[in-house]
Amino acid sequence: MTKALRRTQVLLALAALGAAGMFLGPDGWYGIDIGPVGSAVLYAALWLFVIHLSRYSGEVFPESWSPAEKQAWVALVFTTLVTFHVANLLLPLPDLGAEADQLRNSATRPLWINLGMLIFGWIVIGSMVRKQDAGAVQLDERDLRIAHRASRFADGALALLIIWLVVALVTLPDQSRTWLRPLIAANVLIALLIARTLVENIYTVWRYRRERA
Amino acid sequence: MSEFAVRNRIREFRMLNAAMTQAALAEACGVTRQTIIALEAEKYSPSLELAFKLARALQRNLEEVFQYAEK
Repeated sequence: MTKALRRTQVLLALAALGAAGMFLGPDGWYGIDIGPVGSAVLYAALWLFVIHLSRYSGEVFPESWSPAEKQAWVALVFTTLVTFHVANLLLPLPDLGAEADQLRNSATRPLWINLGMLIFGWIVIGSMVRKQDAGAVQLDERDLRIAHRASRFADGALALLIIWLVVALVTLPDQSRTWLRPLIAANVLIALLIARTLVENIYTVWRYRRERA
Repeated sequence: MSEFAVRNRIREFRMLNAAMTQAALAEACGVTRQTIIALEAEKYSPSLELAFKLARALQRNLEEVFQYAEK
């Protein structure tokens, strides 16, 4: 394993640690709020990864990965982070009551900013990875076939998720439905679409690994 | 009942073809080197068009490069 690849793994581990602190960390741990600390660690790791990518172009990912597989991994990392964000966005909404129907409510405002930063980071890192393989074939028939299979698999998963949601809503007793406001329902539908993309990316990287094994 | 699969001799013919590299073959066929690796490991079966391109790049007939044989 090359030095650059080892650094990539360290940065990824750091980002995972930061994300865990950001999403799952306790609010008060020896007087420290772990959420902002985790957030700072995550964004620092992503920023260092951008520098690392610009310095060690071509060595950051394993040589056996095709350009499309690299993009699939970048997409998986960011989709996972976005999924956690959206889950964090949804969880406090039922407690807000009527305020949940406002797009800019107190519970979700900081999360929208983080979400925007993550999407910006995804665009930057994705375009840098693409530049690494400039001139080479970016996408061939094998990549397209894997993408097609992943899309079909994710569509199946989305259908199951929608059925599960419908059954859950229908079987909920009336008094338990009071939290279900229009904007919460809209956010849940967006969350389902994000979950579909996450399933698609997981399937894609799994398929690449399987074809290499 | 016996199972059939697409087998290939890409690696063998590549070596006979002045030790053509995987990268050179990939470039000649317009695919990534990783696809050539997957083909040689028989983890992936190519489309008919790619199979013809591979046979042409290796200067062989299609039937020489690919066989539909028992696993």
